[in-house]
Amino acid sequence: MNVFQVRPAAEVSIAPQFPAAFTRIFLLSLLVSLLLVVTAQAQAPTIKLFPTTVVEDLRQTSFVAKEMETGLQEVIGRLDQQQQLYQESKCDGAESDPGCQRLAKQLGATYLDMLGIMEERLPDMEHTVNNTRLSLEKRLRSELGNKMTSWTLQETLLGGNPQAESAAATPSMRGKSGMRLSERFRQYYQLVASSSSQTDQSLAVLASDIYLDMDETSVLIARTREEIARATLIEQLNQSFGTITPEMMEVVGGVKSILFGDEASQVQVAGPPPGSIEQAYRSPLEN
Amino acid sequence: MNFNYSIVRALALLMTGGMLLASCASSPPPCDGPQTKNLDAAIGDVKESLVAGCSAHFEAYYDDLLEIAEGNPKHENKRLFSDFLVWASDEGILSQRQARDYYNRYFNVKFVSLQSDYNNCSHTCPRRGKVMLDMQRELSDKERGLLKVSMDNAGYYRADELYQEVELVLEATCTACSAGQ
Repeated sequence: MNVFQVRPAAEVSIAPQFPAAFTRIFLLSLLVSLLLVVTAQAQAPTIKLFPTTVVEDLRQTSFVAKEMETGLQEVIGRLDQQQQLYQESKCDGAESDPGCQRLAKQLGATYLDMLGIMEERLPDMEHTVNNTRLSLEKRLRSELGNKMTSWTLQETLLGGNPQAESAAATPSMRGKSGMRLSERFRQYYQLVASSSSQTDQSLAVLASDIYLDMDETSVLIARTREEIARATLIEQLNQSFGTITPEMMEVVGGVKSILFGDEASQVQVAGPPPGSIEQAYRSPLEN
Repeated sequence: MNFNYSIVRALALLMTGGMLLASCASSPPPCDGPQTKNLDAAIGDVKESLVAGCSAHFEAYYDDLLEIAEGNPKHENKRLFSDFLVWASDEGILSQRQARDYYNRYFNVKFVSLQSDYNNCSHTCPRRGKVMLDMQRELSDKERGLLKVSMDNAGYYRADELYQEVELVLEATCTACSAGQ
């Protein structure tokens, strides 16, 4: 029965229709109440791992990462072009050539630009990553560390139905892929922002995954900031001699793979862990 | 003399017979494992041995039964093991908890080794390495029970996935716990 069906105006006559209309309204309100109850039960957060502050921190991290990428994209593109020109001009091994020296100086100057942008943007990045990490840390400690035993944690992860297939419930990404930094955080944000549709078991895994990723990113950023000062000093010295060091190329390569992902391993969404792909048992005795 | 010799002989026979009877009464049952490859019949053999006083060999019998079941894997085996354990508990050979643990360790997705009454920060995290090692051992028992004995592939892969999820979540939770100290 379609309760929303509209009758033609000619049929509408309030008095005789009243009991039927009343029944319909009653049924409709009952349906709505039932829906509300079911939705409330489905969305009832039994563990609070992603309050709005964490979601906002994630969104902010994604935004800052995006800004940093945009800032670096142009300078890295320029570095690539200059490096290509240097190689095409067969400057490797002909460093004393005045043309090559000029190219090397230009390359070094662009490299310094890149270090400068990173130095400028990294503190913001470090700040937002740390904020997210600390909020999640607090939540994980309180919700999973202090309020749960290992048994209740297991039950949360199983979601009350141990035999059920979990493929649909578990989040489909597990950090550390070759994707852009901002894209990674954007995906985290999207997963978390739609957390009302996620179950407790997938939220616990998601929160843990993000937290460990943030922890690692935080350490990497701190280490990179330390290195920038050293690399800048060395390059300023190199500028006087106009040489390109292998270390310089290595740093540029590293920055590119951290920010923009490894071209060779562009994995948008990581696959399930090795053991979770269902396969028939294969005995070692089988041929 | 002839009379005396007969008496001595009768006495010797009586004593030998008595000693034989006595030795029969006090010798323990052989407690051999099941000799058949049929799981139903093997469970029957084991029940007889357990009732005859071989309950100390329960673990070895259970292992024998699993080995026999591996030779003829089917979903039905799960129920046979469950019935056997319920019987062992009813007979007082196992406590209810032991029976539950024997079953769940091999045939349930949930990990018995995660049983604990205290919170993760104070209890699980300080011994996380041992907890994960115990879970790893239990996972290999589940591989035997779920996959090789009862052909419950989905159940085993869910247990394997659960193991990995617990590993990840405990790593994050314990890092968070230690950061708060």
